[in-house]
Amino acid sequence: MEPSREHPHVPGPSLWPVGLAVGVVALLVGLIVNWWISVAGAAIAIAFGFLWVRDIARERGLTKAGEVAPERRNGRGPSRRPAVAPPRTYGRSAFLELSTLGLGGVIGGLVSLPALGFMLLPAFLKQKNPAHDLGPLTDFPQGEFVVTTFVSNPPEGQVSRRTAFVRNNGLLGTEPSFTIISNHCAHLGCPVQPTTVVPKKSAQYKDVTLIPLPTPPSGYSCPCHGGAYDVEGNRIAGPPVRALDRYSFSIRNGHLYVGAPFSVSHVVGSGATARIYKYTLAFPGEHIDGIESWLYPIQPPH
Amino acid sequence: MAEDRIVERKRVFAQYKQDVKERGKPFYPYAMFHDTVMSLVVVIVIVGLAAIWKFTTPGHHTGFGPHGSTDVPNQAGWLGKLYDQPADPGTISFVPRPDWYFYFLFQLLRIFKWPDSVILGTVGIPTICLVLLIALPFIDLRSERRPSRRPVAMVAAVLAVLSMGILTYRGATAKEALASEEVTHVPSWAATEKFTKNKEAVAGARLFAQLGCLNCHTYLGQGNHNLGAPDLSAEGAKNKGIAFQIAHLKCPQCVNPGSQMIPFADQPTKNLTALATFLEASKGGK
Amino acid sequence: MATRMSPQDRIMYPVDWLEERSGLIGAVRYFLFRRVPSDTNWFQTLGSATLTAFLVQATTGVILAMYYKPDPQEAYPSIVNITNDVFAGWLVRGMHRWGASVFIILMFLHMGRVFLFGAYKYPRELNWIIGVLLLALGLAEGFTGYLLPWDQTSYWATTVGININGSAPFLGPFIAQFLQGGTYINADTLSRFYAIHMLLIPGAIFALIGLHLYLVIRLGVTSPPWSKHPAGSGPTEPPPPAPPRTGLTRPAPRGGTIRG
Repeated sequence: MEPSREHPHVPGPSLWPVGLAVGVVALLVGLIVNWWISVAGAAIAIAFGFLWVRDIARERGLTKAGEVAPERRNGRGPSRRPAVAPPRTYGRSAFLELSTLGLGGVIGGLVSLPALGFMLLPAFLKQKNPAHDLGPLTDFPQGEFVVTTFVSNPPEGQVSRRTAFVRNNGLLGTEPSFTIISNHCAHLGCPVQPTTVVPKKSAQYKDVTLIPLPTPPSGYSCPCHGGAYDVEGNRIAGPPVRALDRYSFSIRNGHLYVGAPFSVSHVVGSGATARIYKYTLAFPGEHIDGIESWLYPIQPPH
Repeated sequence: MAEDRIVERKRVFAQYKQDVKERGKPFYPYAMFHDTVMSLVVVIVIVGLAAIWKFTTPGHHTGFGPHGSTDVPNQAGWLGKLYDQPADPGTISFVPRPDWYFYFLFQLLRIFKWPDSVILGTVGIPTICLVLLIALPFIDLRSERRPSRRPVAMVAAVLAVLSMGILTYRGATAKEALASEEVTHVPSWAATEKFTKNKEAVAGARLFAQLGCLNCHTYLGQGNHNLGAPDLSAEGAKNKGIAFQIAHLKCPQCVNPGSQMIPFADQPTKNLTALATFLEASKGGK
Repeated sequence: MATRMSPQDRIMYPVDWLEERSGLIGAVRYFLFRRVPSDTNWFQTLGSATLTAFLVQATTGVILAMYYKPDPQEAYPSIVNITNDVFAGWLVRGMHRWGASVFIILMFLHMGRVFLFGAYKYPRELNWIIGVLLLALGLAEGFTGYLLPWDQTSYWATTVGININGSAPFLGPFIAQFLQGGTYINADTLSRFYAIHMLLIPGAIFALIGLHLYLVIRLGVTSPPWSKHPAGSGPTEPPPPAPPRTGLTRPAPRGGTIRG
């Protein structure tokens, strides 16, 4: 390990940075999961960081000490290190250099880590889909589609308006069955339109707007890039990568409640007996089955 | 030899510096005069566009009410409307279009109309273009600058400009077979196909436009060609009869095995009869 | 006996004061009176025209920010207010709206000029790359600014734009969720885009324009490639003596001189 003129000095291999990285990761993960993981992470990061810096400082100190030897300074003497190990000193300038870098790093970390967390994390933390009352079951005649627009998250206001195509499938055994299809195109999220006559007339229930469709739609078409779907939301033409997303539902006190949205690769059959191939919600444009779905291995929490 | 080239171009650049020193002109006022005139033109154009936008918009410009209620009309001037309707995340009638300088990207997305190729249009091709653009000085290493001696570069530039132009134009004129838009063509269809007097056929034509038939079929130049669906402008010339058309609408696969058409059995008989009458009345305008 | 200042020195004293303490005057003089090739032409004004368009955007943008409210309930009404009620609001908004288009057109034209002149070649490669980054940032300004009026066009165009990012492999969904601050466009999306549009990207653009100009001054501008004597071709020879006039019936042979 003789540092020579041809090879610039690089720090020797060390495992400490790995520990430091693990600590930082634990710190960040802890911010999402639990605060004491963050504390443990911070402790690990500080401990390993200290060890790493100490190592580097030691190495630098060695080099500095070695350079003091005159035969190395003028470069003409024997290039081999003297047999006697030089004293392990920390050069003053090496110490100042490293502590400047270290303190600068601490300042940078103190400022940027919370700021980064503040910027990045909220988008991934507060996602929730409270069940929303769409009105009494009698508003949804069996076998008919009703274009239903509702404010999915009332505290957020009009910006959370969503539209779904709701069809009462009648009873499946003893349980009521509903089909609730989202109107966000599975290609890039444009608002799909039911391919039928949409009347101007609408009914209102609280914040929910209901437009019953007198003529059942033959499917849905996307106004942006030419996607076309059948009435169950299966892609029949154009670029959509999967079927239209759907909403889960529940019945409480004779009212229909819409729940969390989920993604659907395709649907076999129709109505109450349809077989729905269900996946966790994905962004439009993402394949959720087949080889292409390997491109999107991890979904952020929705 | 690479080294020769490096030495040579260093020499040329040194010569350039010397030439500029010896027989160049001072930036101010010679070149800067041109710059200032051009900047003035730019500012005048911008102010002019703003003024044209405002003063060619008819009526008073007080915007729309909340969520699409259009009590106050806002008409378009020469440069379009002063503002669109307020954002409505729950709309089912809006046709989104980007600003003109993203039309090329918009059209690129429309070109890749197979699910497996979506990622090429969204990420693949734009990334490749950006990387090529950044890497250009390291791809084109010759020092030749005269356009007449750079045929490859010039052809590439012309192709790039052409394809951007075509994509932008196609994006600007792109239309989808939407019920709300197609239904406006019904009177002209009736005139061309000569069934204006046939009330039943006109009603069928409206249904034809609204039920999304044009997502897959074409009719008198409207609609998309998808799933191998035939053009229906002259469907009636085959004289298959209304009963056949109704049976086919109800269950396309029963009449025509292997057909990929979706069944319209959910529709009331009244609608099916109107559609069938319309199809039989479409004789291709003869 | 103290030496007295001449009257001229006395008048110029404020300039001298500034120059002594900052060196600014010298820098400006260097910028203004640096030499450029004698054969530069109108095509080479496109860069400064682009800069002008950007400065128009920056100025009008700052003024618009005084009246605009980045909130889903307030954004649209505030745009209507700017257009109709605020004095000259239509002009400032119109200039910002159409200045964006002019800025983007000029960026493309300027890039086309640099390509045509081969001005991206040695030693100006870095400046080309900075230019490409500026183009990308300019388009990003267009994209983020498009959401701010909060009308139908902006809402849905932004939805598509964000989902385009979302379809990128592996990290795409995370980028999309970060951009809109959630699974769907929400109140945070607007303020996020506003901050990116008026602070983050313009800051980056200013910094890169500074670098761009520094490199232009350091490396100089190119002569048009079709110039007879472009800078870099060596000193111009004195023009050869004109051949004696020989009349229409006996033209001089090309490149030769007439004897006899």
